[in-house]
Amino acid sequence: MRPLNFIALLLFIAGTVWVFTRSEKAVRKVQENYYSTISPFVSKGGEIDAFATSFMEEVEHSEVLQKRLEQATRERDRFKLIGIRIGELESENNELRNALDFKKQTEFDVISAQIVRREPLTWGSTVEINRGDSDHIGVSLCVLASNGGLVGQVYQPGDDVSSVLLITDEASRVSVRVEGSAEVGILSGRRTNYGETPRLRLRYLSKNAVLQKGMKVYTNGRGGLFPANIPVGTIEDFEAGPVTGEAEIIPSVDFNNLKTVFVITDSPGD
Amino acid sequence: MFFYHISLIGLLLLSCIVQQFLPPINGWYDARILLLPLVVVCSAATTPTAGMLILAFLGGFLWDAQQILLIQGVDTEIYRDTYQSPIESMKFGYSILLFALMGFLMQGIQPLFKQGKWYLSAMLTGVAMSLYLTVEYLLLSFVRGGFDITSGVFNQIGLTALITMLASPLVFWILFQIANLCRHEISYDSLRQRTY
Repeated sequence: MRPLNFIALLLFIAGTVWVFTRSEKAVRKVQENYYSTISPFVSKGGEIDAFATSFMEEVEHSEVLQKRLEQATRERDRFKLIGIRIGELESENNELRNALDFKKQTEFDVISAQIVRREPLTWGSTVEINRGDSDHIGVSLCVLASNGGLVGQVYQPGDDVSSVLLITDEASRVSVRVEGSAEVGILSGRRTNYGETPRLRLRYLSKNAVLQKGMKVYTNGRGGLFPANIPVGTIEDFEAGPVTGEAEIIPSVDFNNLKTVFVITDSPGD
Repeated sequence: MFFYHISLIGLLLLSCIVQQFLPPINGWYDARILLLPLVVVCSAATTPTAGMLILAFLGGFLWDAQQILLIQGVDTEIYRDTYQSPIESMKFGYSILLFALMGFLMQGIQPLFKQGKWYLSAMLTGVAMSLYLTVEYLLLSFVRGGFDITSGVFNQIGLTALITMLASPLVFWILFQIANLCRHEISYDSLRQRTY
């Protein structure tokens, strides 16, 4: 081995050992610095992502219109396009109206936020929102969707952008209850979630639980991280094990089309 | 040579920024282009071992700063009730070792690369990426427990490696341009990249 390579290898090993022996606090500090440096690009990346999504929708749209053009007149198609655009605007308007209504009606003090980036981690379900320390976003704050459903919790607040751990992630843990029964359990996500509808796992139910498909699941407020009575999802399936039972849950939030979320900054219990 | 390696570090930082603009493809099992790891492995084919180790260290450090999931503020009562400990995260720095292993793999066929057979190195980036993702997933499974290996996981690994591999010729082309600008020789027998 050449002397230079040998020295480089020794330095590499020393550097790696140094990195491996960093405390969790030091690693968190590194990540904070990293995210504060990268956050302007994350915001821009989110805008480009939104543009790309919109562009792809437009492309799909154009293909549909192309088929219709074979049967309809040019003028008629023009009006159809206008109609579709109005539909999109109406849909967007409704979404914003729902968001505004939610903000007015909710019993919590909330801050609305836009999702600027989805799934930045290879193995994990997280999103990044365009709110941070400057908006008083802190660690562990609860995040809701406009339908009131539970989205997750803030785990890495930055200056202008914060990371949210979704309830669909394997590392997420939420104490919940099943409506219409005495059953309580711990809800967690899965290591990987593909497809349109992610599934959640509700564990530590009693093995003799009588649960039916469609029963609603709410947070029970235990632990104090998530306020009580926030809708989480509905039961899809239940399986009794030798000691405990486990249910499969369909979340109440459409995570694939989630754009606006609300961060609870102060719940009535606080 | 010095300027070339400094430029590679600049390219690494740039790829870290560009990575923020590369979202996962939902219809393709959340596959994505892993640009930063790709820059590390492609650069590894053009540098000596010392340079590769520096890039692996910096790349792995930056990658883990972004990818490591450190959960703060857990419901302690939940874990007390279920006699569980909070879910483990991967150790910060593991990517440094994996990047170095990928780098050594790339350097294994460096003689072929130097003969101008860059396409073999490009294909090897796909193999390296799939190995990297597989080992990463297995480590994650080992740390957290429960080998939840499904066809979706294999599809995600395969598709991510594939689209990352397809981007490798572009990265190699950028490396050639940087080498030209820095008057650095990536020795070839068939394709001369020497500039004076």
